[in-house]
Amino acid sequence: MLIKSKSSSGFMSILDLQKGESGKIVDYLDMEIASRLLTLGLVPNTQIKYIRKSPFGGAHYIKFNGHSIALREEEASSIVITK
Amino acid sequence: MKQSNEIIAGLIGNPNCGKTSLFNSLTGLNQHVGNFPGITVDKKTGIVKLPNSTFIELLDFPGCYSLYPSSSDEKVVVDVLSNIDNEAYPDFIIYIVDATDMDRQFLLASQIRDLGLPILMVLTMKDLADERGLKFDLPMIEKEFGFPVLFYSNKTKENLSEIKDHLFSYRKLLLPEKLSSPLEKKRRWLNRSISNSHDNCNCCQGESCELHNTYMKSIGSLIEVSTTNSYYKLSQTESKLIESCGDLLKSNTPYQALIQVQHSSWLNHLSTEVKNKIEEEKKKLNFNSISAQIEETLFRYQKFTPVIKKAVKVPRPVGLTVTDKIDQVITHKIMGPFLFFALMFLVFQGIFSWAKYPMDLIEYAFNALSNWTASVLPAGWFSDLLVEGVLAGVGGVMVFIPQIFFLFLMIGIMEEIGYMSRVVYMFDQLMQRFGLNGRSLVSLISGGACAIPAIMSARTIGDKKERLITILVTPLISCSARIPVYTILIGFAVPDMNVGPFNARGLAFMGLYLLGIAMAMFSAFVMKYLFKSSGRSFLMLSMPEYKQPIFKNVAYFVKEKVGAFILEAGKIILMISIVLWGLASYGPVEKMKLAELEAKHIGLENNLSIEQTNNLIASKKIESSYAGHLGKWIEPAIKPLGFDWKIGIALITSFAAREVFVGTMATIYSIGSETQASSIKDRMATEINYVTGEKVYSQATSWSLLIFYVFALQCISTLAITKKETGSWKWPIIQFFYLGILAYLSSFTVYSLLS
Repeated sequence: MLIKSKSSSGFMSILDLQKGESGKIVDYLDMEIASRLLTLGLVPNTQIKYIRKSPFGGAHYIKFNGHSIALREEEASSIVITK
Repeated sequence: MKQSNEIIAGLIGNPNCGKTSLFNSLTGLNQHVGNFPGITVDKKTGIVKLPNSTFIELLDFPGCYSLYPSSSDEKVVVDVLSNIDNEAYPDFIIYIVDATDMDRQFLLASQIRDLGLPILMVLTMKDLADERGLKFDLPMIEKEFGFPVLFYSNKTKENLSEIKDHLFSYRKLLLPEKLSSPLEKKRRWLNRSISNSHDNCNCCQGESCELHNTYMKSIGSLIEVSTTNSYYKLSQTESKLIESCGDLLKSNTPYQALIQVQHSSWLNHLSTEVKNKIEEEKKKLNFNSISAQIEETLFRYQKFTPVIKKAVKVPRPVGLTVTDKIDQVITHKIMGPFLFFALMFLVFQGIFSWAKYPMDLIEYAFNALSNWTASVLPAGWFSDLLVEGVLAGVGGVMVFIPQIFFLFLMIGIMEEIGYMSRVVYMFDQLMQRFGLNGRSLVSLISGGACAIPAIMSARTIGDKKERLITILVTPLISCSARIPVYTILIGFAVPDMNVGPFNARGLAFMGLYLLGIAMAMFSAFVMKYLFKSSGRSFLMLSMPEYKQPIFKNVAYFVKEKVGAFILEAGKIILMISIVLWGLASYGPVEKMKLAELEAKHIGLENNLSIEQTNNLIASKKIESSYAGHLGKWIEPAIKPLGFDWKIGIALITSFAAREVFVGTMATIYSIGSETQASSIKDRMATEINYVTGEKVYSQATSWSLLIFYVFALQCISTLAITKKETGSWKWPIIQFFYLGILAYLSSFTVYSLLS
C-alpha cells in the first residue's frame, strides 16, 4: 500500500523494536490485514509501543493510545513504522 | 413477514464498551434469548419499561468494530442492518461508547449514521473517565455527527432515568409513523419533514422542549444525511457501482446499498440472482473491495479524529497504569501460564467440592418427589411414565446445573475482569500449532461443564476452519455428565490405595480428564491437515483494561449459559428419557409376562426378600424389554470391548445423558433404581448377580468402558447443537463417527491388553 506520510526513511517493522520502544505507523505491507488493523484504531501516524512477546511465542503485546492489543507474528510484521 | 408494532431499538457498540451493563440496567429481568431469523447467532432482546406504561423493545447486537466484520458474531450486525426488511431491523440505534477510549469507536457510529438510522449515543464508564481527568465537549460531538450524546455511569447509574426519558421521546416520535405506514417501514425516514413529526409528538404539546430540540436536531440532520449529506463521501467507482445495481437493492441510503454490494457474497437476504449481478458489475468496474474498504475507513478517521481530539481532552498518562502492572505478572513468560494452570486447577477443584452439596440435594429432592408421586398415583403405566420417564429426565437435567453454574460463574468473572483475553493472547500460538485459535481455549474450558454452551461460545472465533475444529473436538473434554460414570467405574477399575501422597482413584480420575484433553488436541492437530483452510486467520485481539467485575453482568452471563444448557440440552434429554423409558418398560407382551413369573419363582426358591424380588423382576423385565432386545442385538459388536448386552443397554440409554448409565446399570443388575447414586457405587462394587453368581465388573471391562466414555459422543444434545452451529447434518455425523471409532478402537486395545 502507499499511504502519504511526511517521513520516508528509516522504515522498519514493529517487530524490529526492542521491548518498551515506540514507533509511528507509516504504512502497511498487507491490505487485508491493514483493513482490519484500521478498524481497531491502528491508523497511520499512531504511536505504538512494543511491550512483550507471548509465553509460547508467536503473539505480541502492543500498546497504542492507551489500548492493549495482541497481534500475531504475521499481523505485527505487516505494520511499517519509523522511529 | 412479521411486523412488530412496537419500536425496536438496537444496542450497538464495540466489544467491551459497557454495552451489556446498560442492556441489563435498562431491561432488568425482562429479557430473553432467541434467534435472528435465518442465522444461528443468539438474539438477545429485552423490554424497556418507560413512563405511562409504555415500552420499547431493546435488541442487543453482538459487539462489533466496523461494518466490515471479521467474525460470525460481527456479521450478524451487518446482516441485520443491511436488510431493511429484516424483522429485527431496528427503528433507531442506541450506540454505546466507552468514554475512556473514544478514538476508534466513532468509526462504527459514523457508518451506522450513514445507513440512515437515527442514533442516540451513550458514553459509558463516566466514573472512570472522571477519575482519569478526561474532559468532554459533548455539544461539539453532537454538532459533528448530528445525534444526541448522553453520559452513563455503570457504577452510579445516575443518568439511567435521563436515558429512559430520551427513549420515551424517541418512541413517541417514531411510533405514529411506524403504525401509519407499516409497509413503508423504513423508507418513511426519507420522506418525513421536521414539522410533520413535531405534530405527532405529545411530549411538549407542540411547544418546543429541550429534549425535543435535541431529538429534532438528530432527525433534521438525518434527513440531510440520508438524502444528500452522507458522513462518508462515496468514491466515483462506488457511486457508479451502486447506480448500476440500484434497481436490485432495497436500501434507505446509498451507503446502505454500498454495504450490501461490499458483502454481497455472504449476506443471507440477497438472492443468488442479485449476488451474481453484483459480482458481474464489480468485475466490470474493476472494483477492489479491500482497497475501497481501506479508503473509506481512512476517510472516516481523518474526518472525525480532529473533532474528537478537540472535544475530548485527555491528560497525558503518567508512568504505568494499573493494567500495565498487572499484565507484567499475569502475561509474564513463565508466571503467566503457570498462574493460568494453577487457577484452572483451583477452579475445577472448587467446582467439584462446592457443587457436590447442591447436587446431592437435588438428587435427594427428586428421589423424594418420585417416591411421593409413585405413592399417591395408582400404579400403572401413567405413574411409571411420570416417575421413570418424566421425573427421571427432569432430575437428570437438574442435577448438572450446580456444576455448570459454578464453572460459568468462574468463566464469567474471568471474562468480566478482562482476564480471558490475556489467556487467549498467551495461548494463541500454542493453540495455533494444533489448528485451533487462542479463543478456542474458552470453549474447551467451558466444555468441562457442558459441551452445549461450550460449542456455542465458539462463535467468537473468526476463522471458519478453527471454529469448526473447536466445535468438533470440544466433546472430548470431560463434561459434568461423565463424572458420575467415572466415579462409579473407577471404583471397580482402581483399588482404593495410595500412590505416594495421592489417592490412586483421584489420580485415575485426573488421568481420564487429561486423556480427554490430550485426545482433543491430537484430533485437532490431525484435522488441521485434513481440512482445507477457508481463508486467512487472524488474532488481532483487544485486551481491555482490568476492571472490577459487575455482579449483575456476571449473573446474566451465567443465566444465559445455564439457560442454553436447560433449553438446548434439557428438552432433548427429557424427550430421550421418555422414549428410553418406553423402550425399557415395554417389550413383547408374552416375554414380559414370562420374565416376571420367572423372577418371582427365583425369588421364592432363593428366599429373597420382597424388595430383592421386586428388583429382580425389574431386572428380568428390562432384559425382555425392547431395550433389552436392542442391547442383545448390539452385543456382537461390543463383545470385543468386553461389554455384554447389559452394558449395551446402558450405552444406548446414556445417549440421553451419559450419567443415565448409572441408573440403568442399577436397574439391570437389580440393585433397585431408587437407591442414591453414592450407595449404588458401594453396592455395585460388591454386587454379585443373584442368579449366576458372577462378579459384575472385571477390571478390564471397567477400564475399557471408562475409555469408551472418555471418547464416545454419547449425547444427542451435542449432536443437535453441532448441527445448529454448523448449519448442516454433515458435521454432527462426522463428529459422531470419528469419536465413535476412536472410542471403539481405544476400548478394544485397552480390553485386549488388560484381559
